[in-house]
Amino acid sequence: MKTKQMFIASLCLFALTFVSCNKKQCSNCHYDKAGAEIELGEKCGNEMETLEANGYTDTTGTYTVHCAH
Amino acid sequence: MKFFFVLCLVFSVSASFYGQQVTVEVFDSIRGMPLVDATVYCVEYDQTVLTNKDGRSVFALNKHNSLTIKVVSLGYRSAFFTVNAGQNSVTVNLMPVHLDMHEVTVSSGALIQSNKNPFHIESQKMSSLGVIANLTLGEALAKIPGVYNAALGNGISKPVIRGMQGMRVITLLNGLRLEGQQWGGDHGIGITSLGVSAVEVIKGPASLLYGADALGGVVYLVDAPFAASNARSLEVQSEGFSNTLGGRAQFIYKESYRKFRWFVASTYANHADFQLPSGKFAKNARFNDLGAKINMSYTGNNSLYALRYTTSHSVAGIPGHTHDTLATPMTFQVEERARTYELPAQFFQNHLLQATANFYRDSYDFLVMYGATVNRLIEFDEKVTIPSLSMNLVNQLAQLKWQIKWNKSTKITAGLQSMIQKNTNAENASDTLIPNAKSIDVGGYFNVNHERNRWNIQAGFRFDRRTLFGIDLPNQGVVNYNGLNGSIGAVRSSKRMVFRTALSTGFRAPHLTELFSNGYHHGALRYEVGDAKLSPEKAAQLDVTLEWNQAHSSFAINPFTSFIIDYIYLEPLGVLFDGIPGYRYVQNNEVLFSGLDLSYHVHPHFAHGLHWEVSLSYLYVSALGDSAVSMIPQPRMQNVFRYEFESVNKVRIKEVNVQSTLMGPQNQVAYLESPSKAYHVLDFSLVFVLGKSNQFSIKAGGRNILNATYIDHLSRLKNIQMPFPGRNFFLGLGYNFNGKLKNQSNEN
Repeated sequence: MKTKQMFIASLCLFALTFVSCNKKQCSNCHYDKAGAEIELGEKCGNEMETLEANGYTDTTGTYTVHCAH
Repeated sequence: MKFFFVLCLVFSVSASFYGQQVTVEVFDSIRGMPLVDATVYCVEYDQTVLTNKDGRSVFALNKHNSLTIKVVSLGYRSAFFTVNAGQNSVTVNLMPVHLDMHEVTVSSGALIQSNKNPFHIESQKMSSLGVIANLTLGEALAKIPGVYNAALGNGISKPVIRGMQGMRVITLLNGLRLEGQQWGGDHGIGITSLGVSAVEVIKGPASLLYGADALGGVVYLVDAPFAASNARSLEVQSEGFSNTLGGRAQFIYKESYRKFRWFVASTYANHADFQLPSGKFAKNARFNDLGAKINMSYTGNNSLYALRYTTSHSVAGIPGHTHDTLATPMTFQVEERARTYELPAQFFQNHLLQATANFYRDSYDFLVMYGATVNRLIEFDEKVTIPSLSMNLVNQLAQLKWQIKWNKSTKITAGLQSMIQKNTNAENASDTLIPNAKSIDVGGYFNVNHERNRWNIQAGFRFDRRTLFGIDLPNQGVVNYNGLNGSIGAVRSSKRMVFRTALSTGFRAPHLTELFSNGYHHGALRYEVGDAKLSPEKAAQLDVTLEWNQAHSSFAINPFTSFIIDYIYLEPLGVLFDGIPGYRYVQNNEVLFSGLDLSYHVHPHFAHGLHWEVSLSYLYVSALGDSAVSMIPQPRMQNVFRYEFESVNKVRIKEVNVQSTLMGPQNQVAYLESPSKAYHVLDFSLVFVLGKSNQFSIKAGGRNILNATYIDHLSRLKNIQMPFPGRNFFLGLGYNFNGKLKNQSNEN
């Protein structure tokens, strides 16, 4: 009985080692325009993902956004 | 007294019958006294029994055919022999020796003592390789003669055997082939040393047993044995390093019953950016990894079943990577270190599953193996949420192997192997370097081993077929590659001399990346272009080994020459793609690798605790006037001085080690590759043990204690003139607990 408990406990520990909740990722983002780096501030989750995928658009055009840790 | 040091094993066998038990009694062959706690291992039952105070170990068996037994005791030559069906008692007299040169290896397809194997195999225990603490498995492997480490900082490393690496070197874990996008120079070996007790290295083409690709050689990792029968054990270890302000912690818990045994293990390592000899730090050289392993085996009637699962997850910064055209080497050497994740970075995840069933019969053994590996490689370059490269590699392997005992001196091994591989690019990745594709490898082999007097001769051939299909490119059909290979070897083993020679061939089909890549490989800072017309590489190697063993010394010389045709390599295109240099895969008709490994181990009679081990490795490469081959390892001479103390105090020093590594200059360089200077690194360690049965251990020492500034020729950071880490002190703590399991019936 003790062995089974130890075995199951080890399996649970083993599984838990590799299970973690997804933390919401946040980073400071910016884009480059006319040689200047323009800060967009800290962006998180879907908003950051959309900015990195589609870029930042203002009246003069769309610019590639870089976010970094 | 002189016989005390004679390097030979004498064991006598006497038979008597005790019903359902086999008793193995182990004695010192000179003094005749019983050996306590000698490890007696039965291969067919995967069962270990330690000898009691009378030197006796008892295997309780239902019934048995012939059994293969290995007996190991510290300070004695190990014994490896067969117990015939019906024989119930064996007496083994072990010869005291200082140097055991007759290790039993598994990587050649069957358990065999190294002095009876025609193919030279380097076998090392991980505990020996770790006396000077290592940060990664790659660093540990590089202490084996002829094996080097191609590193990208601290976190990413891969083994190099006789100048070949990546797809030309196969890594196996207990016979399971590891596939982890090893074509990329910046893609590491991907697993840690968790639960690994020994490593065996086959140098040169090993296609006969392991199929296509193993042109450079094979790294065969052997998992730790289970606990002794009806016992449990716990091992806890931790190591800390001053240079990276990092360390590693791991544990292994084992339980073994008569028929069922299992262990679970886990590890976590975390290292910040390493410190250079100048005091500055290597930018983004941080890494962490998490690993876990669970192994179990069950003994049936003349059969053995095993299930193994290993997983690892690592995150490594990619140092030396930039898109800044104004960057200088000093851009990557910074004043402050960091530990947190930063771009660019590589995520590497592995899942390895292996199920085996062995069936043992009087006249043959039969093995069935199924394995599956999943490797996920993600590289983030400029964006946090969008990977530049994201690939999933699923590999399924199956193997059937027969070992037929033809007669007392002849064994035949035949086998079938298959591997189905599927590479898929994630849709959210910004770049796709190699297309989605599948491949099927099918191979069959036949091998004969004949023993006659002092000679052991082995010969075999193998056929392989690789089919690439489902290639996600317009108008790209199915591609087939075939390979017929063979090997023949002979070994003559006497009391003091071992002479072996082997001729083997191998082939390697071009990889997807060499055939179809067309894109940015940010990790390697290259734009790579493949060539669909590349043909397979073919190799032939002649390998000769001469070993001379004395009571207090051993000497081995191992010259080799390897001839490769259609050698595939990357050639600079001389153009930039968006600021990144372009390269294409091309072939060279003929490349000759030749060199030698030499080792000498002396243990002087007047200083019983002292060991001096020297190894020397040299490689010369001729590409017939071309400069096709890059990253040829520097000549290496390694000296290890070890002094072992004998003490009975509660706290006692066990050994002192001083290791000197002298690397010669490397002027054999490829086009656009720069030569490397000679360098010298000095390391040391002290090992203390505490407790009645050495339960506690403390390891302290330093690496690069002279704070030498050097760049190895195989470093991937050589192009930015990034030196290797400076002085690095380490401290390791270990705890071992061994106990008996109570109230266990003999049936479980």
